[in-house]
Amino acid sequence: MSAEIEEILKRYSNYPNVSGIIIVDAFAIPIKTTMEYTLTVHYAALANNLLAKGSKMVQKLDSSNELTALRLRTLNHELMIVPEENFFIVVVQKPCE
Amino acid sequence: MNKSNFKKLVAVVQSNSENTARISEQTSGYVVSENGSDTVMQTSFDNSTAVGIVKHLNSSFVKLAQSSVRDLDPTDKLCFLRVVTRKFEYMVAPEDSFVVTVVL
Repeated sequence: MSAEIEEILKRYSNYPNVSGIIIVDAFAIPIKTTMEYTLTVHYAALANNLLAKGSKMVQKLDSSNELTALRLRTLNHELMIVPEENFFIVVVQKPCE
Repeated sequence: MNKSNFKKLVAVVQSNSENTARISEQTSGYVVSENGSDTVMQTSFDNSTAVGIVKHLNSSFVKLAQSSVRDLDPTDKLCFLRVVTRKFEYMVAPEDSFVVTVVL
């Protein structure tokens, strides 16, 4: 099963626009990444923080609703964060103009 | 200064009334709020919902997202934020003096 995951990761990270993919576990520790380590840890910490606040805020606005994804578009890239049950995935890509 | 700023912003919003009409048709609604004081300028929701959205979403979360982006890269800046939930999707566009939020 791990080989399948590796293949999927490789396929997506080879897309021209994708700068990196990070899989982070529930403790905000990156388990798989295609970028360099310090940057990965930085992204993982920020994504964890944003997800925690984001899901709390969505619950406050409507208690039956829940956060499924976050997309931040900045000047230089686009950051997509998707939470799952035990982990979350962060994808960084270059925005196409 | 604050009152004239407010009037200018209202003028900008009103000059985009065509877009506003299109947005209110196709989506659940929108909220335009002022950045400095977190007050609602224009909205297609009822006031309590709009104030709730601004209070929870805009004031704390968008600022957190902006500071995270600048933490990663000091020259970078948040242009757009999309919060996808099970029921709707909030699309937030922060500008210098105001924030536009559209609920899809």
